Amino acid sequence: MRTDSLIDRLANELKPVRRRSVRRDALALVVLCAVELGLFFVMGMMRSDMLVAMHLPSFWWKLASLGLIGLVSGTVAILSLDPARSPRRGLRRTVALIAVCLASGWLLDASRDGFSALMSRLDWVHGLQCLYNVVLLSVPPVIGLGVLMQRGAPTDLDGTALAAGLAGAACGAFVFVFACPFDDPLYVAVWYSLACGAITLFARFTLPRLTRW
Amino acid sequence: MALQPRNYSAVVQPLSARGSGADNRAWDAMMAAAQRGDGSTYHRLLSEVAAWLQRYYARRLPQAMIDDAIQDTLIAIHEKRHTYDPTRPFGAWLAAIARYKWIDALRSLKMKPTEALDDDIPVPDHEGAVTSAWSLERLLATLKPAQSQVIRLVKLRGLSIEEASKATGQSAALVKVNIHRGLKRLTSLLRSESDAD
Repeated sequence: MRTDSLIDRLANELKPVRRRSVRRDALALVVLCAVELGLFFVMGMMRSDMLVAMHLPSFWWKLASLGLIGLVSGTVAILSLDPARSPRRGLRRTVALIAVCLASGWLLDASRDGFSALMSRLDWVHGLQCLYNVVLLSVPPVIGLGVLMQRGAPTDLDGTALAAGLAGAACGAFVFVFACPFDDPLYVAVWYSLACGAITLFARFTLPRLTRW
Repeated sequence: MALQPRNYSAVVQPLSARGSGADNRAWDAMMAAAQRGDGSTYHRLLSEVAAWLQRYYARRLPQAMIDDAIQDTLIAIHEKRHTYDPTRPFGAWLAAIARYKWIDALRSLKMKPTEALDDDIPVPDHEGAVTSAWSLERLLATLKPAQSQVIRLVKLRGLSIEEASKATGQSAALVKVNIHRGLKRLTSLLRSESDAD
């Protein structure tokens, strides 16, 4: 087809469009996470010792870290849906934030027991269950971000997919914090990192193929 | 190992989509009107954009790929027009999409042999072909010699893997690996340049 004919066709089939809005995209993601959290509570999945847990520094470390990581990486992912914006700088900040979160967890951990018997604290059986649950809860936000990617125009698909994977994984893990009875920073650092890493890698290699434009 | 030259910024230069600031603002307004459904303004805008894309890709792609790249970009602009924010310059938005489609076109070089920028083939726009060849040479100069050599032979001159293998003394498998790695490196160079912008 000649370019002139293509231009004629595109101009003839032009319809008004509703502009993409960063706030609307962010709101959609927040609503999705809130619905997931609400359903989680309605299904009676909240941990039974929540009142006790709320007095533990490690519980708040876990909740705040995942909330912050989700917020920052979600913002990076949504902003990078604009073709003129790259997610790379935001991703570097997210990685720095994750390092700070893990380091602060390590400080909490070191101040508690020292470094003895670390392996025994990993609790493999429950750890694998936690990993499975976090992955499961991360699926809706990752799909939601994938839909936003499809609708947006990210020009660095790999970077945006990475940010979307991180955001989705952090959202899923954030929701799971309310059910998970384990607050040991070592346990959280290992099992939550594995689950978030798996989801992030999955998103990194899957979303670019599905959202290419 | 010797460091490769990295002076590709001349090829990946910043874009000023139109001549003057007033012209750029005119494009901003035209795209905003297009988002409201103004077909005639949109037609004018796409025609001007097509002319700009012609110049943009002429400096960056082999002659045979230019029309496809222009049409792909126009379709992308049409499909993603809702992502343009009228409070920001249209030129930057357009340049980002053009660059994305350029990288796509370079990536497609991995999948299919392209027409050669051969000295013997008559080219209608000789200046464009020369500029295109010059830009590609500048990009290829950022690669390892073994990689740029086989990309030149196979992707630009149209030789088969076996012929390139004989010409360079590399094994056929190594030719394939060098083409793959070279094109991958080119794509990541363009990406990192885009990030720096």
